[in-house]
Amino acid sequence: MTRRAEAGLLIAASLLAAIGVAMVEFTQGSWLDAQVAITLLAFLGSFGGLQIAVRRWAPGASSLLLPTAAFLSAIGFIEIYRLDPELAAVQRWSLLVTAAIGAAFLWALSRRGVTVLRQYRYVILALAVVLLLLPLFPDSWPIHGATVNGSRLWVRIDIPGTLRTLSFQPGELARVLIVMFLASYLAENAEAMSVVDRKIGPFKIPEPRHLGPVMIAAASAFVVLIYQKDLGASLLLFGIFIGMLYIATGRSFYVVAGGATVIAAGFVAFRAFGHVQRRIDAWLDPFSNFQDAGYQTVQGLFAIGSGSLTGSGIGLGRPDLIPAAATDFIFAAIAEEMGFAGSIAVLAGFALLVGAAFGIAIRARDRFRKLLAGGLAIVLALQAFIILAGVLRVLPITGIALPFMSYGGSSLLANMLIIVLLLQISHEERV
Amino acid sequence: MNVSLRRMAYAMFLAFVVLIGAVTYIQVIRGPEYKNDARNARVIATRTGRERGPILTADEVVLATSTPSSVDPKLYVRAYPESDLYAHTVGYTSVLFGSTGLESAWSRELVSNRDATISGVLNGLLGGDTRPRGLRLTIEHDLQEIAAEALGDQKGSVVALDPRTGAVLAMVSYPSFDPNTLTGSGSGNAGVALEDDADEPLRNRAIDETYAPGSVFKVITTASGLDFGVVSPSSEFPDPVELELPDSDGTISNFNGEVCDDGKSVTLETGFIRSCNTVFAQLGMDIGGDDLGSTAESFGFNRTIPFDLSVLVSFFPGEGSIEENPSATAQSAIGQRDVQTTPLLMAMSAAAVANGGNAMVPYLVQDVFTSDGTIELSTEPSVWRRAMSPATASVLTEMMEQVVISGTGKKAAVPGVRIAGKTGTAEVTGHPPHAWFVGFGPVGASEDEPGIAIAVVVESGGNFGETATGGSVAAPIAQQVLAEFFEKN
Repeated sequence: MTRRAEAGLLIAASLLAAIGVAMVEFTQGSWLDAQVAITLLAFLGSFGGLQIAVRRWAPGASSLLLPTAAFLSAIGFIEIYRLDPELAAVQRWSLLVTAAIGAAFLWALSRRGVTVLRQYRYVILALAVVLLLLPLFPDSWPIHGATVNGSRLWVRIDIPGTLRTLSFQPGELARVLIVMFLASYLAENAEAMSVVDRKIGPFKIPEPRHLGPVMIAAASAFVVLIYQKDLGASLLLFGIFIGMLYIATGRSFYVVAGGATVIAAGFVAFRAFGHVQRRIDAWLDPFSNFQDAGYQTVQGLFAIGSGSLTGSGIGLGRPDLIPAAATDFIFAAIAEEMGFAGSIAVLAGFALLVGAAFGIAIRARDRFRKLLAGGLAIVLALQAFIILAGVLRVLPITGIALPFMSYGGSSLLANMLIIVLLLQISHEERV
Repeated sequence: MNVSLRRMAYAMFLAFVVLIGAVTYIQVIRGPEYKNDARNARVIATRTGRERGPILTADEVVLATSTPSSVDPKLYVRAYPESDLYAHTVGYTSVLFGSTGLESAWSRELVSNRDATISGVLNGLLGGDTRPRGLRLTIEHDLQEIAAEALGDQKGSVVALDPRTGAVLAMVSYPSFDPNTLTGSGSGNAGVALEDDADEPLRNRAIDETYAPGSVFKVITTASGLDFGVVSPSSEFPDPVELELPDSDGTISNFNGEVCDDGKSVTLETGFIRSCNTVFAQLGMDIGGDDLGSTAESFGFNRTIPFDLSVLVSFFPGEGSIEENPSATAQSAIGQRDVQTTPLLMAMSAAAVANGGNAMVPYLVQDVFTSDGTIELSTEPSVWRRAMSPATASVLTEMMEQVVISGTGKKAAVPGVRIAGKTGTAEVTGHPPHAWFVGFGPVGASEDEPGIAIAVVVESGGNFGETATGGSVAAPIAQQVLAEFFEKN
């Protein structure tokens, strides 16, 4: 696909967002106003701007990633606008700012290549650890954590001299940094870790000292689980470790051990934490827990079910009945108003994005780039899978953002950076 | 490494296939079920969550109102502030149990027409008034309260009408229920309990139940005799202890098993005042089954009463069915055997006497008004049928007044007001008798003097059981309502 076709698709995605906003305005009984034009400009400015940066600094990059991300962002944005125009206005700024940061990041990477990250791997690791610990900072500090809905994943920075605070979820960014670190660590140590000469039962296992990273993975995921009470993030983190270990070594032992650990940890969490237990109950039988723990799940199912094949029409459904419709449950809102057709389009969009990311990994030039692209592909896939599986009752609900679609700047920034990294890796394969 | 990358990619694709399967299952296979689940607020929104107009009494007491839900401001919650007092008339609108009463009958006016239908959108675009209409009823709150209080915890009904217009002034049925318990999505148990209740609290006994009228039917038998020229008030009847019925072994006796007057002869008027069965059984046979039936039908028996709510048809044996059977005619003439009627029709019959013989179309809704209070539709009174001649009505009025002055209906008397009435104690096999009173006032009202007609029935003797009579149980209830009405007017 040419850059020209890519530009056409980006314009199409921008028009999609603008038309969606116009439809919301119409169905809500208001007259068309500046919102339509502002939305069009924001999408053209962010994704168009990114494409200009790609043309300039990474002309050989894959042309699948940006249009797919723009399409998913547009669908998500329409639904956010439909639910709350004020949230949508914030999201529009987030799009522009994160695209600008993404373009700057691309410029930085393009100067010395993506391999520059290997040199700073311990800086990156330290940064990731700090970001993961930030939410635990006590409330009295100028930079401090905040508990929202029982989970401590938010960080608030009080802006000096004003009463305003800046809020973000550092965990989103930490995931990307951890993938960067793991890619460079595993690129060097995977050889040793894949040497297996011991056997336990049918499984070949590596030297105990090589099990260190798995232990670290389990430990850090547990820290996140226990101190931040964020099941989704901890599952995601654990999945990244296990997935990248498997990619690096090709040893299914890691996957089996990882899976066993997840099940064991899940069982411990189920016994130890009341909120985990309630979630499992709500998952197994949401309808008998309709009034309390199962409420959100049931509202999601009602919304999706009410959407039928073609949906209620944008602005004509009742997605406002779903708790967290603009964030974790954005998919249920889309499924209600855009129907089965919209659901499948979103799922296809994610499959395309993840497929493109794995394709970049497979074609990448060296171990580090393969591991980095593969790890980023896993982050994209797992984020989407964990929250969609929760909404669709395949797994218990664990609240994380749906990439590019949920409302929220932190998630948008992390996923923009993932796309930029993948663009740079795909560019470098042809250099 | 590419091998493990590919495997990882396949695994992720497999995960997405699982998601596609899940979304297909939820949205396509289980979709219709979720869409129509009673707990799905979308269902509640389309069925009952829309704003409905208010329902008020004639004196502006709020009977039904819609307020924005605390859970979701776009949804409205229907509330019935007067609880069980108007439950049968106003009815309810429920997610699980549908709607009844005026809520059902007038739902077109009560529901907002701001919706997604083409006409709704067009109406909104063209600037039409899309807010729901409200209803102002003819019922007067104080009369309704007094009627319910007077009936107390006795099964039965009280219906009061304006005889000149047919406007319903009070309509009470006991036992009742609180419609507020049926509106929510969690009302399943409450509703099923009401439906299963052997006392049938959901039934509007004023219109949805028929009873043997017993002696109150003598009003109609007398009207028939007068209209057909068979008798006058001073006509003499034999006065036996028991009237032997021809063609059968049966006899008809008076309430106390005694003679009506002196044991020799008795006038129609005395028989009416004392409610002697022997006199009216004989009168019925003198009139004949078919002619008596035609008068009953003039009053509205065997006819569907045009009303805001659907009314059970009252029954009198049809043409030819008792003409050749004098004993059946005799029993029918005193409101027994197969004769069945609703309290509403008995109130209308008393009203027809008060109104010079004309039965008016009864109605509950006086006005339909828009959200800004403008009256959009007002009910104009209309004559339903001519029950009897004005002369007959006037003679009957005199006789009915005597019932309250010196006869069985003394307990319905209101000091300073001329009240006319007739009691009834209807025999029912296997149960204590139903106690009846029908009446009206004031007698001889001038053109602009407000009047009231009333029917009271107390099922199976109420608190008095076997010893109950219309005069002892039903007349005092009517008296309280009449007294309240005349105190006010």
